Amino acid sequence: MKVTTERQGGALSICVDGRIDGSNVVEFEEAVRAAIGDEDVVVIMDFGNLLYVSSAGLRAVLLTGKRLRGRKSELVLCSLSDPIRKVFEISGFDKLFAIHPTRGEALSSLAD
Amino acid sequence: MLNLVEEIVLLMIDDEGSFIPVRDTAFDHSVAGAVLMDLAFANRIDTDSDRLTVIDSSPTGSAMLDSALSLIASSEETRSPSAWIAALATDEARPVRDMALDSLVERGILERSGAKFLWVFERLRHPIVDDREERAVKRRIAGVLLSDDIPDPRDAALICLADACGVLPAIFSVQEIEKARPRIEQLRKLDLIGREMSGAIEEIERSIIVAMSYMPH
Repeated sequence: MKVTTERQGGALSICVDGRIDGSNVVEFEEAVRAAIGDEDVVVIMDFGNLLYVSSAGLRAVLLTGKRLRGRKSELVLCSLSDPIRKVFEISGFDKLFAIHPTRGEALSSLAD
Repeated sequence: MLNLVEEIVLLMIDDEGSFIPVRDTAFDHSVAGAVLMDLAFANRIDTDSDRLTVIDSSPTGSAMLDSALSLIASSEETRSPSAWIAALATDEARPVRDMALDSLVERGILERSGAKFLWVFERLRHPIVDDREERAVKRRIAGVLLSDDIPDPRDAALICLADACGVLPAIFSVQEIEKARPRIEQLRKLDLIGREMSGAIEEIERSIIVAMSYMPH
């Protein structure tokens, strides 16, 4: 798994390559925590290259969203492949977080 | 801090120190689900809908979890979460429930008392003697159910367990539960083990209803 970040259009984008599961979830959480600064009001998780997410990975995303909401910031998800999107939808994440087809659309929605 | 097994067993105790009457199936599956949830929160297992895998087989230090962990870790075949829930509900739920009662007694939350039943049999009761934990658990459940905040994953799991074993009517009125039903459904989806556990209980209860409908009147 590889985590990269980019600041663009007033948002922090966190891109994840590979898998998030029990074997690397701590590493994922640490990378995400280190990437998010106090000034980040919107965090976009770009899952375009996410190949697999287990329950441990879903919990880590949920906890990140909860932490951000607690400080009045927002977590937005984007670029999910169909199988990954299905996992997030079955787990009800689409009712808790905005999910956009692309990062561009996620950024555009911030401007609205 | 109590684990989910202890929390759900505590919620199942009524004012007289007996278990709230619920179907054995629901109780056993909820205890089995709670064991797997606790193991997941302790980073010992991970799941997706097809597989439950052990990521760390080192003991948690809690006997009520480590017996199941050892069983799963020593299994030669990879099973789904629902298969493990069914297996643990059959083999582990009762001993785990008793261990949870022992732990709650040791912590001074419950006391154990025996009462004669039909003058001969002794029925054990476990009245709550320190209700702070029970009140805290109920407050957490109410706090999550009555808000639309992003829940803590552990609280979502607890609500899933409470709903599956039918303890919510002992905490809330029928009207309150009806009002909170959309939120309960949302929280039930968040935890995969919880989803599989609720599905298994519903499936068994449907089978019972079907079987009863074929019984001669």
